Amino acid sequence: MSDILSTSVSGLLAFQRALDVTSNNIANVATPGYSVQNAHFTPQPGQATAAGYFGSGVTIESVTRSYDELLAGQVRSSQSGYSSFNTYATQAGQIDNMLSNTTTGLTASLQAFVNALHTVANSPSSTAQRQGLLSQAQALAQQMQNYSSQLSTYSAGVESQLSSSVSQINTLSAGIATLNGQISAGLASTGQTPNSLMDQRDQMIDQLSQYVSVSTATQADGSMNVYIGSGQPLVIGSTSQALSAIQDPYNATQHNIGIVTGGSVADVTSEISGGSLGGLLAVRSQVLQPVQNTLGQFSVGLATLVNQAQQAGMDLTGAAGQPMFAVGAVVSNAAANNTGAATVTVTRTSLSSLTADDYVLRQTGGAWQLTNRATGQAVTMTGAGTAANPFVAGGVSIVVGGGAPANGDSFLIQPTAGAAAGLSVLLTSPTQIAAASSIQTTAAAANTGTGAVTSTVVSNPSTWVPGTYKITFTSATQYQVTDSTNAVIGSGNYTSGTPISFNGASVTLTGSPVNGDTFSVGAASSSNIGDNSNAFALVDSLGALKFNGGTTSLSNVANNLVSQVGVLTQQAQANASAQKSVNQSANDTRNNLSGVNLDEEAAKMVQYQQAYSACAQLIQTSGTMFQSLLSAIHG
Amino acid sequence: MRIATITFQQNAMSQMQELQAALAKTQNDLATSKKLHSAADDPAAMTQVNQLNITLSASTQYVTNGNSASTNLKLEEQAMADATNTLQGIRDLAVQANNAALTASQRQDIAVQMQQQLQDLQAIGNRKDSNGNYIFSGTASGTEPFSQVGNSFIYSGASTVNQIQIASNQRVSAGDTGSSVFMNIPAGNGTFTTSAAATNTGTGVISVGTVVTPAAWVPDTYTISFTTPSNYQITNGAGTVVASGVYTDPNSISLISGIKVPISGTPAAGDSFTVAKAGTASAFSTVSNLVATLNSSTLNNAQIATQIGGSLQQIDNAITHLNDVSASVGARINAITSSQTSAQSEQTNLTASISQLQDIDYAAAITQLNTEEISLQAAQASYASIAKLSLFNYLK
Repeated sequence: MSDILSTSVSGLLAFQRALDVTSNNIANVATPGYSVQNAHFTPQPGQATAAGYFGSGVTIESVTRSYDELLAGQVRSSQSGYSSFNTYATQAGQIDNMLSNTTTGLTASLQAFVNALHTVANSPSSTAQRQGLLSQAQALAQQMQNYSSQLSTYSAGVESQLSSSVSQINTLSAGIATLNGQISAGLASTGQTPNSLMDQRDQMIDQLSQYVSVSTATQADGSMNVYIGSGQPLVIGSTSQALSAIQDPYNATQHNIGIVTGGSVADVTSEISGGSLGGLLAVRSQVLQPVQNTLGQFSVGLATLVNQAQQAGMDLTGAAGQPMFAVGAVVSNAAANNTGAATVTVTRTSLSSLTADDYVLRQTGGAWQLTNRATGQAVTMTGAGTAANPFVAGGVSIVVGGGAPANGDSFLIQPTAGAAAGLSVLLTSPTQIAAASSIQTTAAAANTGTGAVTSTVVSNPSTWVPGTYKITFTSATQYQVTDSTNAVIGSGNYTSGTPISFNGASVTLTGSPVNGDTFSVGAASSSNIGDNSNAFALVDSLGALKFNGGTTSLSNVANNLVSQVGVLTQQAQANASAQKSVNQSANDTRNNLSGVNLDEEAAKMVQYQQAYSACAQLIQTSGTMFQSLLSAIHG
Repeated sequence: MRIATITFQQNAMSQMQELQAALAKTQNDLATSKKLHSAADDPAAMTQVNQLNITLSASTQYVTNGNSASTNLKLEEQAMADATNTLQGIRDLAVQANNAALTASQRQDIAVQMQQQLQDLQAIGNRKDSNGNYIFSGTASGTEPFSQVGNSFIYSGASTVNQIQIASNQRVSAGDTGSSVFMNIPAGNGTFTTSAAATNTGTGVISVGTVVTPAAWVPDTYTISFTTPSNYQITNGAGTVVASGVYTDPNSISLISGIKVPISGTPAAGDSFTVAKAGTASAFSTVSNLVATLNSSTLNNAQIATQIGGSLQQIDNAITHLNDVSASVGARINAITSSQTSAQSEQTNLTASISQLQDIDYAAAITQLNTEEISLQAAQASYASIAKLSLFNYLK
């Protein structure tokens, strides 16, 4: 009978503990990261008798949580993926929206500038029309500056998010290390798993995976090691290593990611992937910097083409045209850790070779080597780096001066990054717009044919030799060009409307000249201010394929930028949405294993409750049996 | 399969959130009537919209350019019509003066009227447009094109006229230079000019002549000299005698190869006439020379008749020339009009294409909105009904 009593008591105690577990499960039905716990019953060893083994009740052997490390890993990797693409899409989306406006976007503004040029060409001597062009030029410059300052704001936002992500990661990894210590101590002292601490640690690793992609390895003592990137240890047992936002060697306002090991900091930026940190680094190098550079390429192109035309023209006062736009210079920064005394001077030389890339010039084994910063590929330079024979590559010329360089010294060269911010209008008066050509053709008064001059422009300022030239028709279909010494410098067959080109000048005649007719070409008279040839030369050159080796026009550069950012944003959005589904399904799978199901708990509650009542009943039965025995003895 | 209670809650929540986001997007599309909000929505379509907008904007500008060119050309056309009328008036006066019965003072009266007409003609040549630019000075738009120096007129404008772009690949001259309109008018009959020496004493009058065989005409300056009233000889520019003959009035001296130059009246011995390769003459100088002839007190009737005859030819040449230029101006105005017409239909097409790329299809969008509404309602209703199910409801 004492057996019945003690067996029943063991049942009472076991079911009470099991109901404790159930009530804890029910209480945590909405707790994020909580894994459902199960009480494991085990029978107590029986008493051996001659009649066999009699069981002596039940005990709770352990309380375990439903958990699968593989499922947890899937949730984390999809979480990192989603968080990375989502950060990317959010940041890129801002730039996409900035560039995408079809009525005020870059291509529309450029076309408005071209239209204003046409309006000046319609009435070259009207200052009102010229003022209109100047206002468009200012609007265009202002737009580039606005874009540039908005991009700077976004960049600053990215940098501050990088820093705050790093400190969040550090807080989490320190927390994980602490929990690791507590878990291994708990496991060692009781031999039982501290379930809620483990849930807490899993949840911290989940959170960590939002910031950066992680991998984990469970150790025999119950602690969990956490690695980031390509295996850099973040948490080992109960110690964690801190990440740190370190200054970029070329640009103090930009941060790289370093890992602090034993007092020294190693740059692991290129190893980081996934999570918001990975997304931020990717959007910085794939969107922010390229957009800034391409806007710079556009600005350099606009300024170069317009200024070239201005300088080949004559303004309303009869003076030679002056540059219309100023544009930001090439940015070249020495690495902070350079030890030599070399300096570099970089200037843009060729619009068609100019790229939107950044380059690193590095002293290696006594020679300078240029690499593309984004791709890391070597770029071939011509020249020797001296002022007389500079290095030439990517549309810029590089002169290395100063003292001797040390091996490993490097410079970051950004041909276009600073250009857009520096785009401004230099002209102050509408009269300074050089709509007229700087040269002029005059038909001889004695001409008897109907040949008429339609335009005279300096088409190539670099080969134009100022002077007086004469086009003489040697027959109705043939002409020759002579210079001021009467030397023949060109001849050809005449076609009405086809330009006659010589020494960098281009003269268009129409009609039918006859043998002996002459046209003299020379510097424009200051009275020729009603001319619009140069305005048209500018319209033509703005529409010409002047970029990327003569394959791209200015408006293509702008339009390609819009579509490129659009494509990147769209891809990131699509990837984020796909990763979200993956993450959701991984989460569902994990929850279906680890989450609490109330119906299940209700059923268990009923089961344990009934078992508990039955045990209590047995105690009563045991009491009744004892009473029966007592009354039998006492009579 | 075991489903965690939290999974059911979370999934129901996120599905409803997604449906709400989709509804908000469709509603935004409907409210803005656009489906293309940024390049990320459809990068290819955005690129196309930008390209089409550039073309549309340029096309609109070409129409504006065309209007500007038309305005200039119509002003020019009007000026040339006025000049033609004035020249017609001068011609009438010249015909009136071409009468041997008139006295010197009667001719001078005509000359006074003609001088007035000449000034009108010059004023037309120096006409300005509404911006204060001279119509006929080409690109030297602030320089007065025509001025008188002695009896002759000089052109001070430029040889170039501005082009205006009226289509992506078409530019037209928005005018003509004064030199091509008023100065470079073919002289004489276009091939040669005839004149009488100022020292002639006879009554011989040389006509403007005609070209008989163009291929046989050798351009040069020929002098027809009368050695006696009935004998003449012809020398070329080098002084070589190329022909000689007997003169009978009215005889066509056809000994210069390829042309005929009739001389009427009675030349005196020692009189001479010149036949020269035609150059160009200005309308103003022609009239101003004619005025000088009419005012002259030294010329005899024959000389005056020769001069008036030459001038009449010259005035006719000028009128013909103005008509030719007018025709070319008219052709340019037509070209502008036709390019504007095609630009307008192009713009209609472009606008339609842009709209197709960036605007929503209302029927589709509204259908989608309805579908999404129904989905959300279904999700809400099913959630509300499933969420009530629990085993605890039965444990009482």
